[in-house]
Amino acid sequence: MDILGSFALLLALLAAVYAVLAGISGILTRRTLLSKSARNAGMAVFVLVTIAVGCLEYFFFTNDFSIVYVVEHSNRALPGFYKFAALWAGQEGSLLFWSWLLSIYAFLVLFLNRKRHPELMPYVGVVLAGVQTFFLTLNNFVATPFRVLAGPDGAGVMHLAKMSEGHGLTPLLQYPEMVIHPPMLYLGYTGFSVPFAFALAALLGRYPGEKWIHITRRWTMVAWCFQSIGILLGMHWAYAMLGWGGYWAWDPVENASLLPWITGTAFLHSVMMQEKRGMMKIWNVWLVFTTFLLCILGTMLTRSGVVSSVHAFAQSSIGSWFVGFLIITFLVCFAAYWKNRDYLRSDNQLDSLVSRESSFLFNNLILLAACFAVLWGTLFPVLSEWVQGSKISVGAPFFNKVNVPIALFLLLLTGVGPLLAWRKTSFDALKRNFAWPFGGGLLAGVIGYPIGFRDIYSLLCLILGVFVTLTIASEFGRGARVISARDGTNIFTALGELTMRNTRRYGGYVVHFGMVLIFIGIAGTPFNKDLQKEMGVGESLRIGQYTILCQTFDHIETNNYTSNRATLEVFKNGKSDMMLFPERRTFRTSQVTETMVAIQSSPLRDLYVVYAGESPDSGKPVIHAYLLPLIKWIWFGGIVVVLGTGLALLPNRRTALVLRPATERSWADAIAEATPAIGAVTRRVEGHD
Amino acid sequence: MTNRTGTRGNELLPQNSLCPARHFSVSSSWLWFWFRALALATILTTCALSPAPAQETPRGKALSKRVLCMCGGCEDSAGLCNHPGGTFSGPCETARGMQKDLDTQVTRGESDDQILQAMVEQYGPTVLVEPPKKGFDLLAWIMPIVVPLIALVLVWEVVRRWRQKAALAPAGGPPVSAEFLARAQREANREPERENDE
Repeated sequence: MDILGSFALLLALLAAVYAVLAGISGILTRRTLLSKSARNAGMAVFVLVTIAVGCLEYFFFTNDFSIVYVVEHSNRALPGFYKFAALWAGQEGSLLFWSWLLSIYAFLVLFLNRKRHPELMPYVGVVLAGVQTFFLTLNNFVATPFRVLAGPDGAGVMHLAKMSEGHGLTPLLQYPEMVIHPPMLYLGYTGFSVPFAFALAALLGRYPGEKWIHITRRWTMVAWCFQSIGILLGMHWAYAMLGWGGYWAWDPVENASLLPWITGTAFLHSVMMQEKRGMMKIWNVWLVFTTFLLCILGTMLTRSGVVSSVHAFAQSSIGSWFVGFLIITFLVCFAAYWKNRDYLRSDNQLDSLVSRESSFLFNNLILLAACFAVLWGTLFPVLSEWVQGSKISVGAPFFNKVNVPIALFLLLLTGVGPLLAWRKTSFDALKRNFAWPFGGGLLAGVIGYPIGFRDIYSLLCLILGVFVTLTIASEFGRGARVISARDGTNIFTALGELTMRNTRRYGGYVVHFGMVLIFIGIAGTPFNKDLQKEMGVGESLRIGQYTILCQTFDHIETNNYTSNRATLEVFKNGKSDMMLFPERRTFRTSQVTETMVAIQSSPLRDLYVVYAGESPDSGKPVIHAYLLPLIKWIWFGGIVVVLGTGLALLPNRRTALVLRPATERSWADAIAEATPAIGAVTRRVEGHD
Repeated sequence: MTNRTGTRGNELLPQNSLCPARHFSVSSSWLWFWFRALALATILTTCALSPAPAQETPRGKALSKRVLCMCGGCEDSAGLCNHPGGTFSGPCETARGMQKDLDTQVTRGESDDQILQAMVEQYGPTVLVEPPKKGFDLLAWIMPIVVPLIALVLVWEVVRRWRQKAALAPAGGPPVSAEFLARAQREANREPERENDE
């Protein structure tokens, strides 16, 4: 089986190389047959990599401890769920997994478009196969997952060896989120290859107009959505597993996942400028190039350990391969841009500074500023070591100080931007659109300050959050009222109708609202409380309105781990409220101990209790309790973001419009169009009435 | 001072936590290193006899979040160090030692800057959670402000150009007043100069 796996990987590499070469010659000689053959080779890569992945999974499930990778990341008692996930637990498997996900995307792109865009797809195939070639080279020659155990005998002759038991999966990874978090993040990373491939292909092939953007819109959103889910799951995993009461530590690898997400967000916004107004063509192409390069950089930071990080599971020389690939990719992008830059010439015009266009410009500016700040902070230790010869630390406080103001400004734009009309917004419209939301935000601030938002950033976040929510609500309300007045339906049916008419726009608003919820959740951070106390049976600690009484400590044994558990009774305002069972699990194979945090979650606050173990000083059990306000809003906001993205992916419904009289149809179409702000539409409707 | 070095000596003693031994950039001579280790192992035993309470001074607690735990096994600040995976998921010995040092120095009445400086002298510049705001490291702080500002200026310039283009676009626009036309022409005359500037 290991031979089958290795062989499949080698064949996959050959197929990818063939897809690149045949693709290029197909383009140059204009032979469709050659292009088709290249495309088929591109699709074959998927089949071959799938076989390799299947082989590796087979080894995990059959406990074949003659394979180094299986020995290092599995053991017999490991639940099947985690055996499956062990595929991406280490360097070699992760890179194989990367190749596999990329090959899935590539297969889908090539297959779904096999009869479409004949002048564009050969280029797309070449670009995708090029990326695959790089990763398959790593899989085959640098980090091969099918290495077998072997050792020399007395005479120095190598013999195959087999272990009876593996080392087990890192206990940190034995948590349900860990099964979903990496695939989601990787689906994000690899997914951005698709818009990248199309952008580069359109540029190389001088494919007319904005078509590549239309084709890739959904692909980009899917990748973005996966990236968001991946990041949020990672946050939740860190929160529930690491037991420090936080969810984001500005660790280099966390940052690396955030970077392409930020530029991807910028791209999702700025493409609208090109679609609606034909502006910013060069910018968009470079934005998608940057996003892809950041994806590769992110994979490199995760995999190479260039910057120290808890995620850098394996440190190796693989970084130089990535640097090489980054440089080559950049050069190819730059050459393509330089050669065909006149194709990107666009007629950029701006009628007014107060317009949707300029709000997009500022949106992009702020997002890129955030991206730069994060990247700068992440790589500064490396730069500093290079320049001064000594490393320094750039920790979480730095990132918070730099990024919180940027994020708040972005939140402000989230409220302002969508309410500005394309081309020009009059001062009257501004007043009409913003008076209420802004007043509501201020009111929230006035109420919020006395009830506890005593931190300037949190208070600002609250004000802006309410402001943005009200602008979104007013957008929905206004549109729904127009539809409800016209069709005579009730406001809720009208809301549904409105949303389904322009899923992209209203889905986008839902995503914005989800982001607001996440921001509110983050705004709770300055009010975190924690208390660590040595607690024997019968002793108690008091945090906020909770009193935690220690009842017993007991011991649990399973095949995979042994666990020490504390039984705590929680009193809220003096009344018995609930029981919490924080645990410490010691995994049998690795003898590593993990905390299993007990969390009592409510919309206002989480009570988060860690059984930290026995104090090295006194030998008494130590309980660490945290009171963390508003955390739940982050997870809930995340769900809203995902639902919003899902909504935006749905096709627009255009019902019964044909049957309506001409004048009405024009309004309805106008509502359905994302072009003018609804405010303008309402005015028009009022005017007609 | 003794207490601080005591923490360092601590690193050389076998301990159960996950922290691997770390080579400090400050230490130059092995002899000196072992000397300190020996001298302070004794002090350490006395320290270990009295149970270490959680940090008592609020300033010490705040400071402990501004220095990294230097055990080498974690990326957290001494105040947040919690070692998942270790035998004890709270601050490790190094972190507790650092916390205690900070408390001692606070009670001695030293200023925040003095205390942090002492930490840097002991552990090297990596001990600070944030880059110092001086010398080359100042760049870490300046660039995230300067680069967006430069970008803002560029965006502003782009916006101005695009508005000029829009103003100059003739077809289908609203009637143009004489005054507006004059301004547009004035600006159009300025145009070549700017292009030469670039």
